[in-house]
Amino acid sequence: MRIRKDWSSWDPGMSFKTLPGAMGIYEIADEQKNCIYISYAGGASPYGLRGELYAIFGMPAGADKWNWSHPHPESIPAEVKQRAKYYRYEVTHNYYSRWIEDLTRFSEDYETLPELNKLATAPRAPHLGRYHWKSEGI
Amino acid sequence: MDMQRTEEQQLIIDTVRKFIREEIRPLEADLDPDAYELNPEDDERLRAMVKEMGMYQMGLPVEYGGPGVDIVTRTMLAEEMSQHRAGLYAPAYGAFGSSPPEHLYKGTDEQKEKYLYPVIRGEKHAFFGLSEPSGGSDPARSIRTRGVRDGDSWVINGGKLWNSGADTADFGIVYVRTDPTKGRQGITAFLVDTDTPGFRVQRLVQVLRSHYTTELSFTDMRIPHSQILGEEGGGFALANDTLAHNRIPYASACLGIAVYAQELAIEWAKQRVTFGEPLANRQAIQWMLVDNEIDMRTSRWIALDAAARAQRGESFRFESSMAKLLCTEAAGRVIDRCMQIHGGLGMAKDMPFERWYREVRIRRIGEGTSEIQRVVMARDLLNVRSGS
Repeated sequence: MRIRKDWSSWDPGMSFKTLPGAMGIYEIADEQKNCIYISYAGGASPYGLRGELYAIFGMPAGADKWNWSHPHPESIPAEVKQRAKYYRYEVTHNYYSRWIEDLTRFSEDYETLPELNKLATAPRAPHLGRYHWKSEGI
Repeated sequence: MDMQRTEEQQLIIDTVRKFIREEIRPLEADLDPDAYELNPEDDERLRAMVKEMGMYQMGLPVEYGGPGVDIVTRTMLAEEMSQHRAGLYAPAYGAFGSSPPEHLYKGTDEQKEKYLYPVIRGEKHAFFGLSEPSGGSDPARSIRTRGVRDGDSWVINGGKLWNSGADTADFGIVYVRTDPTKGRQGITAFLVDTDTPGFRVQRLVQVLRSHYTTELSFTDMRIPHSQILGEEGGGFALANDTLAHNRIPYASACLGIAVYAQELAIEWAKQRVTFGEPLANRQAIQWMLVDNEIDMRTSRWIALDAAARAQRGESFRFESSMAKLLCTEAAGRVIDRCMQIHGGLGMAKDMPFERWYREVRIRRIGEGTSEIQRVVMARDLLNVRSGS
């Protein structure tokens, strides 16, 4: 299934503590709320979903005083950072299988991967099966 | 020991049980399978409801404005509050509030103003910094984080590992070796603000469950002498005392998920038909259910005995270690059998078993491994102590 949540807009003024440092998957949408990127915060992610989302949307002013920072923000494709307007995520220990499931579902719905998952700089999408899962009310 | 609940205990338990079944469990259907927080609006609503019921922060002593529920009742409640999917590590998703780390009651008046009261009001959160990459089971020897006195301050260098919540905490209770010549008497507890220059969350360490711990580094972190909690050199005794207390509800919470798992397994065994008969008619299944019940009831007895001893002011270190050992291991066996009874469904994210299976495994390591609990008990039995 796709992530069953409304899109959230990025609020640079929010406390970073509101985002989980846990493992999980996330979707990124552009200004029109089209999902353009699906990825995950896995076991090797240094700050979990929180770190990945800050790497995408950017650290706010004053973040240099925080007691943490993502060591590899460049690992996120620049196009994702430029077009990201909305996000939603799911905390899950099964981040890899859920990533595949979410990509597969998207691919079944739109007959293609999310636009920015097709970039050469994006994490390589695994081989996806066809399950005829088309979502309702996409 | 009298195992009969008092009328008041029964009333509190019934209220909490109803709350978990009617308020918490239904919300879990719409949460991520590994979620450990409620949606903010539900969180706010439930906390308000609990406060209205007069059951918020039940462990908070009366002198600090809480209801001061005793440790025996809290041990019983720990079992009730964990009877839902996220219950082992997020009982009732925190709707009943949490009590401050007990260490803070031993702080100075200034420390209480700065840390204890804000924690009680929910304005500040704390973490506990004891274990290090060099080890956690033997803190007297393994603490290498070093504090050196410099005038009215201490300069601290080193790091900690396995600190749950340090990334979102406002301060921590950090154990530091302040005198390398004095063994366990050379360890001091400091109150450390997480925005202190030199304090860094090095990374979040992902583990078996979806929540995580942290690795911290301290580089020339300057902490005022007034931030020492308790006495200089008294950190180890402070930690030991609190750890023994915490082991009892920690143990009892494991029984909660076991109770819920057993309920689900009994229900499933009655309705699932194989080869023309319900699973419940099969001796193999009956024995698993009975073994679950034996595991749960014996562990519960031991946990309550430890709590009763603590409440009477008797020595309870041996009993709290036994409770921790028995409850964590028994719960692991119960969850494992219940998964087995459910077959394929037992492994699916649709059911809570796979989450409990992962989380309960951690309990045999957290708060002192099973082996360390045996060491603690053996020392008492043999009346010997190792270390300086």
